[in-house]
Amino acid sequence: MSELLAPDILMSIITAAMGVATVILLAALGELVTERSGIWNMGVEGTMLFGCLIAYLVMAETGSPVLAAMVAMASGLAAGLLIGVMTVTLRVDHFVTGLGFNLLASGLTLFWFRSYVGGGKPPGYSTINEFPVPLLSDIPVIGPILFDQHLLTYAAFLSVPFIAFFLRRTTYGLETRAAGENPQFLEAKGLSVATRQYSALLFGSALTALGGAFLMMAFADQFRPDISGGRGWLAIVAVIAGNWRPVRTMIAVLIFAFLDSVAVHAQGVGVDIPYQFFLMLPYVASILLLVMIRSRSGQPAKLGVPYLKH
Amino acid sequence: MITITPRTSAGWQAQLAAYVLALLLGFGASALLITASGASVSEGFGALYEGAFGSWEAVLQSLVAATPLIFTGLATVIAFRAEIWSIGQEGQMFAGAMCGYWASLYLGGAPWLIAIPIIILAAMVGGGALGGLCGWLKTRFSVNEIISTVMLNYVVVYLLSYLLAGGPWTAEGSTSYHQTPVFDENFHLPLLVGSVKLHIGFPLALAAAAVCWVIIKKTPLGFEIRALGFNPTALRFKGVNVTRTVLIVMCLSGALSALAGVSEIFGVNYRLRGDVMAGLGFTGIIVGMIGGLNPIGAVIAALLFGALANGSLYMSVLSDIPPSLVPAMQGILLLFFLSASVLVRYSISIVRPVHV
Repeated sequence: MSELLAPDILMSIITAAMGVATVILLAALGELVTERSGIWNMGVEGTMLFGCLIAYLVMAETGSPVLAAMVAMASGLAAGLLIGVMTVTLRVDHFVTGLGFNLLASGLTLFWFRSYVGGGKPPGYSTINEFPVPLLSDIPVIGPILFDQHLLTYAAFLSVPFIAFFLRRTTYGLETRAAGENPQFLEAKGLSVATRQYSALLFGSALTALGGAFLMMAFADQFRPDISGGRGWLAIVAVIAGNWRPVRTMIAVLIFAFLDSVAVHAQGVGVDIPYQFFLMLPYVASILLLVMIRSRSGQPAKLGVPYLKH
Repeated sequence: MITITPRTSAGWQAQLAAYVLALLLGFGASALLITASGASVSEGFGALYEGAFGSWEAVLQSLVAATPLIFTGLATVIAFRAEIWSIGQEGQMFAGAMCGYWASLYLGGAPWLIAIPIIILAAMVGGGALGGLCGWLKTRFSVNEIISTVMLNYVVVYLLSYLLAGGPWTAEGSTSYHQTPVFDENFHLPLLVGSVKLHIGFPLALAAAAVCWVIIKKTPLGFEIRALGFNPTALRFKGVNVTRTVLIVMCLSGALSALAGVSEIFGVNYRLRGDVMAGLGFTGIIVGMIGGLNPIGAVIAALLFGALANGSLYMSVLSDIPPSLVPAMQGILLLFFLSASVLVRYSISIVRPVHV
């Protein structure tokens, strides 16, 4: 156990946690905006999985991370559109739609991957590199943690204040929130609830798929079934535990990412506790976090309630 | 523009037509997938049919494959009817199999007439306790059941992985396969037909479906379950202890899922290993939803999906189509069925805007 607390190992755990946090944070921010519009999107895990597979296919074929990220985001848009048709237009229950979508994603990605590989050895690629910020990355302790990360990690953390600003200060952000709080009001002003919900879903799903693409490109050189491993669900928990606020959601994400990183390092260091118990940590923590944080004051009033025009 | 208005009920002909259409569209979309993957559609579907229904043995084998799906499908029906969105069928099935195995370790040379009921009971207690835990987290701490069940699924999978890979239950000399040694014969579920492993789990599953139907339709608990879905507040005003109902529903759902684990481990594989059960809990969710959250519907859907699963083995041998097509097909079918259920619940009409 004490091996994990050695200074260099602890540094390594925290530095790696920032990368894991990027994956969950992108999805959580996307889900936050989506939920604020009143759509309880339970298809995060599936959307992330599609992002993973698409990023893998593009990386294996072209080796271009930029292209992989873009195509993955496009797959996120498609996922958001499908979920939107089901929940916003057809008004199928949000939970049921999400469950159905996740099961579809789990099956479809596996099918595509197997068809692509065709019984042979799956092609790999080299994972993307960090992008150290000049000068700042040389600062002891803080430098490696904050400034020797992937470009997308910087982008993900910088988007926290931007999304907070969007939801609080911009007209469209306020209208998006109104769709989740009081859709009748929005409709009475002659504004479309459906448009705001669709745009929130498309934005959120594209961000989630980008998170999946990052997971693939930064951490794995090969796709495997259900590689997202519940990180989409952790994103949903982070939003609830963060009481639908961007900064608090980010804090919840950092807790999960730290535990995730501890689990990975515990395997490497050779602690005498079986590694499976470390792997359970983020999932157990998520339940404990929800038990402890019971405030639901930030929950949009009409979250998960299909809106029917009168 | 398109308007959607709720309607009270559609006739059974309309419902049947919508679901048959959903089935056809689902198979159509699957055919597109097969074409996109470069294999032959007719060859693939032909092999699928042959493997599922082609011979008497194939049919019986399909029933074997359907057995655990009936259990997890019923677990879904019981929970979802009460609008408790449990996704814990997978973890509860694992927990059931694990508790059943654990009990069997103490049963030694007990005759099967004593051993099997104890194994089944232990499994139901294990699965029911895990479901009950999520119910307790929901009622006591208002932890969303979707989240708690999903998270506990992962926890249980890692626990099983520990027990089988280097942990106390690892079989001697099987480092590459994570599994226990083969069970003694007195722990095998008795077979109904000699040549195929059609075991007593199948009639037990049909009986469970009948019991679920009676519970939902004919008992006070069933009324509470249905009312919980419609209006929990009104139920509370009527003096019903909603907390208790939620706990009962979750325990019941967990116990049913556990039976799927028993059926697969003690009826078919005769050793505890995780990979042979993987996915049966999630497929149970699809089975329950496609079955219209009705116990009889769930049995029919489970038979269809059991045939699909069984046929896919044959298909993967005879054609280039990977067996992973089947989960993809199940997902597609589910989304079409969900859409069809909307067509049944709402009338969709195209209204031309009036220009003045």
